[in-house]
Amino acid sequence: MDASGLGAALRLVTDPFILFLIAAGTIGGVVVGALPGLSSPMAVALLLPFSLYLEPVPALALLSALYCAGTYGGSITAILINTPGAPPAAATAFDGYPMAVKGEAGRALGMAAVSSTVGGIFSVIVLVFAAPPLAHIAYSFGPPEYFALAVFGLAMLSSLSGEAPVKNLIGGCLGLMIATVGVDLTTGVERFTFGVPELFEGIDFIPVLIGLFAVTELLGQAQGLRREVKRIGLSALRLPTRADFWKVRWTIARSSVIGTFVGILPVEGGTLAAMIGYSEAKRWSKTPEEFGHGAIEGIAGPEAANNAATGGSMVPTLALGIPGSATAAVILAGLQVHGLRPGPFLFQEQPTLLYSIFVAMLLSNILFLFVGLGGAKILSRISLVPRTFLWPTVYVLCLVGAFGLKQSMIDVWIMLGSGLVGFVLKRYGFGPAPIIMGLVLGGLVETSLAQSMIIFDQQWTGFLGRPIALGFLGLAVATAAASPLRVLFRWIRDRIRPDGVTRGRDDS
Amino acid sequence: MKRQILAVHQDAVAGLVLLLFCALAFWLTTRLETVPAMLSQNVPPTFFPRLVLAMIALLSVALVARGFRRSREARERVEAAVYVTAAIVTGSIFLVAPLGMLLTVSLLAVALPLCWGERRAGRIAILAVVLPLAIYVVFTLALGVRFPAGVLAALVS
Repeated sequence: MDASGLGAALRLVTDPFILFLIAAGTIGGVVVGALPGLSSPMAVALLLPFSLYLEPVPALALLSALYCAGTYGGSITAILINTPGAPPAAATAFDGYPMAVKGEAGRALGMAAVSSTVGGIFSVIVLVFAAPPLAHIAYSFGPPEYFALAVFGLAMLSSLSGEAPVKNLIGGCLGLMIATVGVDLTTGVERFTFGVPELFEGIDFIPVLIGLFAVTELLGQAQGLRREVKRIGLSALRLPTRADFWKVRWTIARSSVIGTFVGILPVEGGTLAAMIGYSEAKRWSKTPEEFGHGAIEGIAGPEAANNAATGGSMVPTLALGIPGSATAAVILAGLQVHGLRPGPFLFQEQPTLLYSIFVAMLLSNILFLFVGLGGAKILSRISLVPRTFLWPTVYVLCLVGAFGLKQSMIDVWIMLGSGLVGFVLKRYGFGPAPIIMGLVLGGLVETSLAQSMIIFDQQWTGFLGRPIALGFLGLAVATAAASPLRVLFRWIRDRIRPDGVTRGRDDS
Repeated sequence: MKRQILAVHQDAVAGLVLLLFCALAFWLTTRLETVPAMLSQNVPPTFFPRLVLAMIALLSVALVARGFRRSREARERVEAAVYVTAAIVTGSIFLVAPLGMLLTVSLLAVALPLCWGERRAGRIAILAVVLPLAIYVVFTLALGVRFPAGVLAALVS
């Protein structure tokens, strides 16, 4: 840890303007999280074009604060209307909503705020200590190691929670294909530009991010217009008691560690962390039968884990340039559009910027505790904002944000096209996150592969002589093969009778 | 026959469409400018896209195979509101040049809520005025974004 960098960052972040941005990002994040359908990746993507008008430090402080607070904010709708504001809060609804139905919404919201804060702070501390040494290790990485690492990151898509592994991998590859549009840097040949000059430099991340996250969701909301949402009011706000906190202390501690570790794994984000946090909370509970009926540990477990994943996911994002989650991928895109190259050199060249991100995340985690506890009653009303006014406003922000980037209508068309295609893909089970991962990693994968092939004189076997690269490629193969192998083993097991006799064709 | 095709699982349909996409994209790579091996250092511009397309094709075959082993799942039909919303948002982009961004935003603030079933005219009117005004203040005055002015430019001049 660089103490001088941390000191400089503290001085910088305590600048009133940056403090204001962190506070705005935190409140904005909580509000966004409290609005059904709006998620932190979408909010960060929407804010990205506007952050370009800021210097890198305030811009990234704002985005990081939004990320932390948005992850917590998702729990508000999960508890109050049984609709997680974002996927990482899905597990919170299992016990949060039953608690709200029993008139204990305030207790559930308070527990979510405290658990999220503890998980978030723990992960930021890990980030401060783990990211610099990891970046230091990455100093020795050459193009083959970076290629193998990026491939490992993409292979991790197969274990991403949600859709089928094969669909996630296809999504990642589609992202890589989008990244090939534009002039090839090695040869200067135009690829897939169709003669459109605006595409010569490639497709910008931002319109695609906005389209895939926001426009796709807008159309998804149009699909569910008739769906009735039952809201739970907060007539009397009763916060968690000291006994409640004492009961969940180990659940929070366990989930904080789990969430941070899962977050550090490339691509895996808060959703998986929250699910593991929930199931571990249930496994270790003395009263597992209460789970699903309003167990307070059922809120503490996933909430500590999903917020711990925010700091964890920033470790590979900043140290290696490999996103740890969908929102981290958007922040990574933000770093790149600000002309910064994440990875070891960022720690050498921009330590103050990095420590500013750490401090901003820490402050945001503390701040949303007060916003969450103090503003629970107001926040419960945010979910009442009619979507007939909310979503048109979101779309206008998409339109203006996509245009404002380069003041070009091509970006607006790309945003719309991404949104329409994203909606169709989502109908067929392809989520937006893998495509974003592929798009953000596309440049790194292609460049490092081309450089590796030049180093190895076009011999793929060259990777065999690079142990670190080989290790990452081995992990990538193991990760991608895990799911099909599981299916294969299950198939074999089903075909073999308990007495060990293979089932014949006639009795299948 | 038609009924049989309709009974195919969505994964098989998605996989076949992706294979078509791969074929089309591969054909596009054959039309890319060729460069001497010396200049490309033996890594031609087609190398990476074709590698990725091969991956997509391979995974798509797996998706098709999986789809043919499963029976079609019942899915929610796409509601009319989705088509209307898609038409409005697409149409709005065509309107930006002739009408200008702010007027388009104002129209969107009327059309989208109406399409989504909002009938409180007063609130729609407030949104139609406040939204473009807020966009103008924040983006044009504070951030210096120059939006297409459209007919408003003619009115001002």
